[in-house]
Amino acid sequence: MKRSWARYFLVRVVVAATVTTLLSAATSAAPVPAAQVAIAGNAAAGPVFPVSVHSGDGTVTIPARPVRILCLSPSSTQMVYALGAGPQVVGVDEYSSWPANAPRTKFSGAETSAEDYLPLRPDLVVLAYPSGTIVQQLRKLEIPVLVLPAATTFADVDSQLDELAAATGHLAAVGAVEASMKQDISAAIHKAGNAGRGESYYIEIDPTFYTATSKTFIGAEFSLFGMRDVADPAGRLSAYPQISAEFILKTNPDYVFLADTVCCQQTAASFAHRPGFSVLAAVRLHHVIGVNDSVASEWGPHTIEAFVALLAGTLRS
Amino acid sequence: MTLTADVKTSDTQAPPLDDTDGLGAPALRPTRLTVGHVVLGAGFLLAAAIVSILVGPAGLPAGPVLVEVLSRLPLVHLHSGLSATGVVVVWQLRMPRMVLGGLVGAMLAIAGASYQGAFSNPLADPYLLGVASGAGLGATLVVVGAPVIGQIPSDLLPVAAFLGAVLAVAATFALGRSRASERSAASLLLAGVAVAAFFTAVQTFLLQRSSPGQLSTVYSWILGGLSTAGWSQVELVLPYVGTAMVVLLACRRLLDVMSVGDEEATSVGVRAERVRLVVIVAATLGTAAAVSVSGLIGFVGIIVPHTIRLLAGPSYRRILPLSVLFGAGFLILADLLARTVLSPAEIPLGVVTAFLGAPFFLVVLRQARRLG
Repeated sequence: MKRSWARYFLVRVVVAATVTTLLSAATSAAPVPAAQVAIAGNAAAGPVFPVSVHSGDGTVTIPARPVRILCLSPSSTQMVYALGAGPQVVGVDEYSSWPANAPRTKFSGAETSAEDYLPLRPDLVVLAYPSGTIVQQLRKLEIPVLVLPAATTFADVDSQLDELAAATGHLAAVGAVEASMKQDISAAIHKAGNAGRGESYYIEIDPTFYTATSKTFIGAEFSLFGMRDVADPAGRLSAYPQISAEFILKTNPDYVFLADTVCCQQTAASFAHRPGFSVLAAVRLHHVIGVNDSVASEWGPHTIEAFVALLAGTLRS
Repeated sequence: MTLTADVKTSDTQAPPLDDTDGLGAPALRPTRLTVGHVVLGAGFLLAAAIVSILVGPAGLPAGPVLVEVLSRLPLVHLHSGLSATGVVVVWQLRMPRMVLGGLVGAMLAIAGASYQGAFSNPLADPYLLGVASGAGLGATLVVVGAPVIGQIPSDLLPVAAFLGAVLAVAATFALGRSRASERSAASLLLAGVAVAAFFTAVQTFLLQRSSPGQLSTVYSWILGGLSTAGWSQVELVLPYVGTAMVVLLACRRLLDVMSVGDEEATSVGVRAERVRLVVIVAATLGTAAAVSVSGLIGFVGIIVPHTIRLLAGPSYRRILPLSVLFGAGFLILADLLARTVLSPAEIPLGVVTAFLGAPFFLVVLRQARRLG
């Protein structure tokens, strides 16, 4: 767990109590009337700026409602747009593919010099994997910077949404965003029924058999359906271990998901052609599914909803 | 073991001189390869090969696996009782991986030994003239270029790595011979350093521009490994590695002559420069083919030849053939550890070779010094 409960709680304090109440109601996946959210939001939003947000590396104070946001990770871009802060965004990193009309830049999010960002005159920078001393440099330039590292649980996603909502001045929307995400997830789980329960899977990150265990975010998505990760015994030292082809043959997973279709052009056919893999149950039953590489590295609402829906569809068919 | 007599001369890398040929004058007389050495090397290789076939995360019972292997021998009719998956594990995964590991290990070791002989430099390794940086750049270009070019065949990476390696060494030669009359070993080495630095710079630039996914793909290739080994890769490298080994083994006597120096070699009719060229071309092609499928596995080309040199003497007539046997056995064992220590997780092979090789080599070095 990347985020402690204490920090999670502090964020909740920043968010108004009404929103919190709504949230707990939302976890039961009951539909939330839009009007109710708006009223609650109006009550909660109030004069929030300057606001203090507790993020990955301490407390960040944002003096005024940001209107020139630089979003440098695909997941934070998805969150910011889902919250309705899109009009305040002046730039997103080159890997942010959703929404399609986001102002893409050539930034990778791994820049080491804060000067690179200055021409865009950002008043809030959101990063996932800060390189070098970029955070300190931005602070010296008095540009608030929010670090939102890779989520490993759904609670992480909620807390990042809360932080971004507070930082961008969209506290009113966060309840509805989280509720709608949970609703989509519940619908997908409902659609799949018991189809995935106890089924084993192998999620491939790269064709040399790097994979993700159930302790990762994508693992948590599979766990929603009661699926079992074949790589878990290899996860003692790393949540993203490299396993052997022999182990895949031994465990004979029911489903194979290829998250290396973009980087490495893998397909169900190329997977089946690897030495010895034609005997795998997943190959014979056509349970080898190519997915966009981003599902294994993004935790934004759009990626989550799309992947969970795809999983439900796959399991049902 | 003929330790004491040979180790004394190992510092100079010159073969022992003696006058026991009855002519009264000192003559070059390199130590011959003995049957004992060959039996030892072949035994080590065979033992490594058998263990690596028997052990793996699939946990197949050893007896049936052995029977399964024997059943494919001519005139042997046995039934192993292994499941269909078990048979696939043995023949499609463990066997090609073992064979490929053996080929790569043998190639890196004999190439390292040959480079050390050709340059009279104990620190020479198979990557000396830019093979590693060239192969690395080739692999990086394919990985980074993939989304730009679109659909490219998945087996392009080894081809690109091979071409990159050959191109880098060709560049080293072109630069090193710009002063044709003075194309010495030293100027080639310096050109190699420059080419390696340049290719690495281009590769680093491309990697810095690449996405995290591409970065990890290239990185895992650089760390080296045999996790995707199959018979197709064995077929891919065998012609190159086989030819290179035959050529290098044929040069073993000439390397012994050259170890006394270029001028002395010339005086007995050996054209040192030409021998060096042949050795380098053969070692480079073989190494390029090996790393194109295995990635950059370090240290084998240094420690295997030196360990043999310390134990069996400085003659290339011993070092080269024994490098083939012990290099193959060493890499097969290293790969066995790479896939079993953290089983079912894998460790990059390059990490294992250096992690095991370095302390082992230091022990051999100390031992040899004490005996010497």
